[in-house]
Amino acid sequence: MNLATHRKTVEFVLDNLVWLMLIVVLAAFSATIPDFFQLGIFVNIIESSTFVGVMAIGLAIVIIAGNMDLSVESVAALTAMVTGILFSNRGIGLGYSFTPEWLVLPISLLLSLVVGGILGFTNGWLVVRLKMNAFIVTLASYIWVRGLVVAMSGGRSAQDLTPSLRVIGIETFGYIPLIAWIAIVSFAIFTFIMAKTPFGRHVTMIGGNAVATFRAGIAVDRLIVVTFVLAGAIAGMAGWLLAIRTSGATANLGVGMLFQAFAAVVIGGVSLKGGIGQLPGVYAGVLLLHTIQTAINLMGLPAHYTQVILGGLVLAAVLLDTVKHSIRLRLA
Amino acid sequence: MVEPLLRLDNISHRFGAIEALRDVSFEIGRGEVVALLGDNGAGKSTLVKIISGGLAPTSGRLIYEGQDRLFASPAEAKAAGIETVYQDLSLCANVDVVANFFMGREIVRKYLGIPILQEREMEAVVASAMASAGTRIPSLRINVEHLSGGQRQAIELNRFVHWGGKLVLLDEPFAALGVEQTRRGLDMVKRIAAQGIGVIIITHIMAQAFQVADRIIILRRGEVAGNLPRAATSPEEAERLIIGEPIASQSPTTRPNGPQPS
Repeated sequence: MNLATHRKTVEFVLDNLVWLMLIVVLAAFSATIPDFFQLGIFVNIIESSTFVGVMAIGLAIVIIAGNMDLSVESVAALTAMVTGILFSNRGIGLGYSFTPEWLVLPISLLLSLVVGGILGFTNGWLVVRLKMNAFIVTLASYIWVRGLVVAMSGGRSAQDLTPSLRVIGIETFGYIPLIAWIAIVSFAIFTFIMAKTPFGRHVTMIGGNAVATFRAGIAVDRLIVVTFVLAGAIAGMAGWLLAIRTSGATANLGVGMLFQAFAAVVIGGVSLKGGIGQLPGVYAGVLLLHTIQTAINLMGLPAHYTQVILGGLVLAAVLLDTVKHSIRLRLA
Repeated sequence: MVEPLLRLDNISHRFGAIEALRDVSFEIGRGEVVALLGDNGAGKSTLVKIISGGLAPTSGRLIYEGQDRLFASPAEAKAAGIETVYQDLSLCANVDVVANFFMGREIVRKYLGIPILQEREMEAVVASAMASAGTRIPSLRINVEHLSGGQRQAIELNRFVHWGGKLVLLDEPFAALGVEQTRRGLDMVKRIAAQGIGVIIITHIMAQAFQVADRIIILRRGEVAGNLPRAATSPEEAERLIIGEPIASQSPTTRPNGPQPS
């Protein structure tokens, strides 16, 4: 019994390690960096975590199901560009509008979800039907979708997004911008789906042992396609948010986000082997990354160091994944 | 005469020019444990696949519960109550006992059209199923990766029984288990059979076959080389039938009680 409690404690710590790290890092920065400890900084961390955070939800779900999706960044760039071109008033923007004006909000969001979902479906279909390696399929999407974005824009940018869209990038609720709330609510919804619905349970089990789930009569292939569609649609929403935040789109919008999202997912405790990981941890991972980035900015270090630290963090996180795995094995 | 659970009637299977099974016929009754013995390449795996729906025989009939049936897929066989339990292929180690027990058959309740897992209800079902089978597991909320091979097997078999299984095929079930766990596994097989479930065990280990089986069936080069009640045979005789020693050496004195091969 004592052993069981011990195991439970260790498991709990391992599962929530990222929250511990976040608290320690926040406390350490607050104590050592002047001007770090203030509401504005914390709000800024939460706001800047929005885009990578939303993107990381879909990526995490695909990885938990035992696959990989490298295309999320480019998918987000595409939906940002589509939103930018259709609803911006300057640059390459076409300036479409609706009456009543607020209709642009649901329509543009739906459009982004659909575009992202279609790309996700293509990835999933290639992986499941043609038995292609997910890493390669989504790497190809990562490349060609970004290429499409550049081609669509002709190297120019869309600016001055319609105000009825920008409103959710400007307005706040309880100090926190609405777009950040969208990320938080998305995390809450998908955490619930993964933990409490048969879909989440099945996806987790597929990541653990796809053969067993197939033998148990679970529609493994269909569910894997669904995870890719979700990842695509969620990335589409991330791109939509990005367009709103930057009030338009440029061809290189969001470059480098994939690796941030990837780092957050791994730091957040999602195992690359599949089957293990919780979404709140992923959100903590995103917050941790942006806390460090904010600290680097405040200390006046050249921004390039961010990338060095990010790379180090990814390495550390993968190492941690391995260490956690061996600790778990020793517990067994 | 009591109708058998499953009757194989002249099952043959060819892979091109190779005859993997030739006119295999035998019966298995409810609550009977049959050990299927045979050397590598004797046709055991092919036969198991045919029974569990993974392969269609070239010719022959399967009579299951009195009806002429051929299962088109493992899922179809499973729906009828026939299942193969492979080592480590039917559990997800990354989730707990309850999740594994209900894999693909979760109890849900819909709120606003969204199906929500009913964890407490499921845990209660698993607890009672485990208790009635006499299986003890430290916690049903523990991930299966922390459980021993024997405990995993117990979960698989309990799950099979709970969901209405009637005939279970165990392919080398104790290959990875220690002495004590194997003993418990064999007890488990006996308990399952006592509930009226037919069990076919495929094994290489003669001692295990003789410990648990009611009947020993020996396959050699795709044919039934022996179909003997355990009490009427010996490991030595079974071994000879597996290797297929010349008929000349099978003098009547070495098998005083054995029935004549049909």
